[in-house]
Parts: sequence; structure tokens; C-alpha cells
Amino acid sequence: MALTLIGVVVTVWLGVSGQLGLYIHPRYNVFTIVMAVIGGVVALAALALVPLAPGDEDEDEDDHDHDHDGEAVPDAPPRARPRAARRSPGARAVLGASAALAVIAISAFLLLAFPPATLSAQTAVDRDIDRTTADLAGDAPDLTGADPSTFTVKDWALLTAQETDPSAYADVPVELIGFVAPAPGEPDDVFYLARFTVTCCAVDAQPIGVPVYLPDWQERVAVDDWVRVSGTFGANPSTGEGLALIPETVEVTEQPEQPYVY
Amino acid sequence: MTEARRPIPLTLRSGPPGPSAPRRRTRPAIGLSIGIAGILALVGIRLLAPPEAGEALSDSVQDFITLSASVVIESLPFVFLGILVSTAVQLWMPEGFLERRLPRNPFARRALISLLGVLLPVCECGNVPLARGLIQRGLTVGESMTFLLAAPILNPITIITTYQAFGWDDGILVSRILGGFLIANLVGWVYSRHRDPMSLLTPSFAAACAHADTVSGSKPRRAARMFADETSAMLPALFVGSAIAGLIQVAVSRDLLITLGQNPVLSVFALMLLAFVVGICSNVDAFFVLSFGSTFTPGAIVAFLVFGAMIDVKMLALLRTTFRARVLVQLTVIVALASAAIGLAVNLVA
Repeated sequence: MALTLIGVVVTVWLGVSGQLGLYIHPRYNVFTIVMAVIGGVVALAALALVPLAPGDEDEDEDDHDHDHDGEAVPDAPPRARPRAARRSPGARAVLGASAALAVIAISAFLLLAFPPATLSAQTAVDRDIDRTTADLAGDAPDLTGADPSTFTVKDWALLTAQETDPSAYADVPVELIGFVAPAPGEPDDVFYLARFTVTCCAVDAQPIGVPVYLPDWQERVAVDDWVRVSGTFGANPSTGEGLALIPETVEVTEQPEQPYVY
Repeated sequence: MTEARRPIPLTLRSGPPGPSAPRRRTRPAIGLSIGIAGILALVGIRLLAPPEAGEALSDSVQDFITLSASVVIESLPFVFLGILVSTAVQLWMPEGFLERRLPRNPFARRALISLLGVLLPVCECGNVPLARGLIQRGLTVGESMTFLLAAPILNPITIITTYQAFGWDDGILVSRILGGFLIANLVGWVYSRHRDPMSLLTPSFAAACAHADTVSGSKPRRAARMFADETSAMLPALFVGSAIAGLIQVAVSRDLLITLGQNPVLSVFALMLLAFVVGICSNVDAFFVLSFGSTFTPGAIVAFLVFGAMIDVKMLALLRTTFRARVLVQLTVIVALASAAIGLAVNLVA
């Protein structure tokens, strides 16, 4: 029960503060919040209607065989597993109670005490950013008649992955925001401007990115910094293969409201 | 059914309590106050937590929290939905309603049960409470396993998303549907031959089943009791399972898995391992694996889609509330071998 309330509070709070997108794809927002509210209401109803101990259907007087202080009352093992707990020796019940309390305390602490965060560049490296970018499924946007200033990092990653002619986008001004991730092999003159793309929830986040050519970039930006880069795509001077973003300006910026792309 | 007490509406009634039972009115109020106080305390923690608390953490710890939290937040609504549907089934489905309508022949019966997911399109996490409810309503253990394994794959949402992701390519969609159906029925058949199916269940759940017929009280009251019992059983499992999933994600580098991707045999096992670790809902896992599309062989993708929908870290934690550990090991081995066989067969044909 305590866990129910924790889950409900976390979900609703994230929903209200608009940060649910850090964890799940926006298409699930409504469903998730609705179910959380229903769950919360039913949980309160259950707290009101369920007697605090088993065998209390007929309004016996004393029913406080187990009473923690605070919110853990409904989760006490005799309630959770009445019959098993009844049969097992006291030591096991104590063990069960402490395990339950530990799970509750740790969950509350991890889920509530720390502010929501995005995944870090470490995970991007771990998930092999250049390969996930190369494997990116989906169709690149059509350049004809489109407004390139609306293209996301994902769009550009798709476009540049499919394009071999280095002058294809020479006259298209690009401005992108993403976080800094080291390129494979950690060269000194190229970093990835990266975003995570989420299909369902943060667990399946795949890092995607475009290479940015900036000699000695480590002196100007740090890994995990969010940066706004404007420039144009051209031949990658570092490797001589493929396209890289040749920046005119690179400035460190705040993490955007919606750090993931979908 | 003894009418112990009229259900108390959820408003705190004012006025003097009846002389006959001074405590009757106050008990719900106490429960409700505890709940509201708990919520306020939790919101307080959230609001008072220092915003820079996260700064002190290393990247991996931070990512571990984010990943685990995202599994919890993504699964929780489905678990709630499953518990609510399960409660409704147990309380309001007429006695014998299912049993009467299902065919007598055990094979046809299980085949039909594996299609129940079409009516109840909850993904695998929501299916566990539902299956528990069905066992309490008289389904055999083998039949409930068939439902558990088949429903995540044989439901409209999963089929549509798989089709959106892969279309008719390489027979992925067809292999997934057929594979899911076959494995679910195979497992159901294996466990239907067990001499003492009740011994497969955890003692506490078996006791709850035996006790199920004797619960008294008004319907809202029993519903509240069921919701409380189910959440007490399910949520700790979900939270712990999510934490394990998050931990493995941070610890295991995906590089390793993906380098295995092109070999027609190894890729199957690599993706099954990935499915086991990631624990994504079957409704959307097709999109996830699509991002690996060019790296892996079609057979590996099929194995991922079949195995991952049935068994993963989080799912095992949830199932552990109901089945003994030994059963889960057997179950995992059977499903893994069968999924691998299907995946390899697809690669052979492709």
C-alpha cells in the first residue's frame, strides 16, 4: 500500500510538473496519469474500508496487532500475507516486515528525494552512439519544400547517414541543441552532439547524434554539457569520410524542457 | 455472504455516531487519514528535497535511478489496470461463467484461453494479477500459464505495433504470433500433466486460493481487500524487479551484445539475453528492436519478440509472487529453448 502511494505520488507529480517525458513516451502520458489517479483513489478507499487486521469482519474491538507509525501500517506483513505470516514463526514475520520496510524506504528515497534526471553521456557511449545512429530506423525527412530549421538532431542524423555528397547541405544553415558525447575513439577534433531517442520509456533510450568538427573541443565544452551549435554540414575533415557539422558558434546552454526526441 | 456492514461512502460523515457502535464511523476515517497523511508526507519529501541532491551522484548511479524509475512508471499503470480487471473478474463474473463456455477438450480449451488476450489487451505486467484472479476463479495452473505466456503476444495492440514496425518482412510478424501460440500451449500442456499443480504455487498464494471461497463482507469491502492484497504482493516485486533491471542495464555494456549480432546462431542468443535484461512491455518492444533492425538477423529479432514478451527480469520478479522459484526456472528454460528454436528456424529459412 505504501508503495502504491509512492508510485501514485511520483507519477502524478511528474505529470503535473510536466516531467513525465523524462521517463516515458508522451503518448502514454494520459493513460499513465489517469491510471495513477484511479490507483490512488482506490488505494485510499481500500485504506478506509479494509479493517486494519484480518479476521476483523465482524467489528471486533482490538485489531492493532501490528502498528508501525506513519504510512507503513497497511503494508505490515500480517496484512499483506495474513495466512502465511500467521503460520510462520515470529522471526520470519519480523524479517518480512523489515524487508518490506526497507523496500518502501529505499523506493521512497530514490524516487522522491532525487530530482528527475536525463540519462548521461556515459550511457550514450555505453550504448554505442555511432552504431545506433547508423542503424537508426525510419525515413529521413524530405528536404524538398521542408523547412530545415525545424529538423531535429534525429532528422539530421538520418539525413547525413544517407548522404555521401559532402556539399549536399552546404548552404543549409543548421542550429541544433544536444549534449556533448565523446566520439568513438575519442578524437580531439570531433565530438557528437547527441540526444536520446525514446520509443517507449527511458529504458529503451537509444543515443543518436551528429559529429561536430571542433578541434580541441575538450577545452571548450565538457562531456554531458548541453550545447547549442550553429553551422553547416560539410565533409568531415577529421576522418575524410561522411559529413560533420562545421560549427560557426558553439555555446553552452541549459538542458531543454524536453531532452529526448521521439 | 453475511452483510457485516454497509459500505461506508468516502466522505467523512459529521454528526454524532450511532450509540450502538461508536467505533464504526471512526475506523474508515482513521484509515483514510493515514492514507492522506502518507500522501502529504511523500509530497513533502518531494518538495523539500534539495534540487542539487542529484549532483552528488556519479553518472552510473544517476542513470541507474533513472532507468529503474522509468520501468516502474511505465509498468505501474498496467499493473493497476490488471489488478482492477482481476478484482472485477473475481467479484462480478458469475460463478462458472468461464468454465461453462470453454470447450471440454483440454487442448481446445487451452487454445481458446491463449486467445483471451484479445479481449484483455494488457501487456505482460498487467497479466500477472489477472492470471492470479483466474486461478482463484478455478482455472488450472497449466491453463493460467498458457494465458500468461500467450496474452502478451496474442493481443491486438502487440500485433498492430509489430506490424507497424516490421510489416510482413521476413515472416517476423507471423513467426511471432505462431511462436507465441505454440510455446504457450506447450507449456500449458507440460504443466497440465503435473500430478499436484497446487504445489507449483507459492504457499501463501495457494493458501489464498483455498481461502478465496470463504471471504465474506460486502462487495466494495471485498474489492478493497483484494486491491490491498494484490498491491501488497505485486508492487514490492515490481519495484525490486525494476531495480534489478536498471542495475543490469548500467552494468552490462550493449556493445558486447551487438558485436554478436551478425552471426546467425549467436545473434539469436544475444538478443534473447537483451530481451531478458531490458524487460520492455510487449506492446512496444517491436519499435525497440526495430532500432537494431539492420544489425541483427531476422531470427534473432523473432526470438527477441517471442522470448522477451514472456520472460524477463521484471516479469520473473512479478511471477515469483505466485509460483515457486523451481517452477520459474523450468519455465524460463522451456520458453528460452523454444524461442531459440523458432529463431534459428527462421534464420535457416531466411
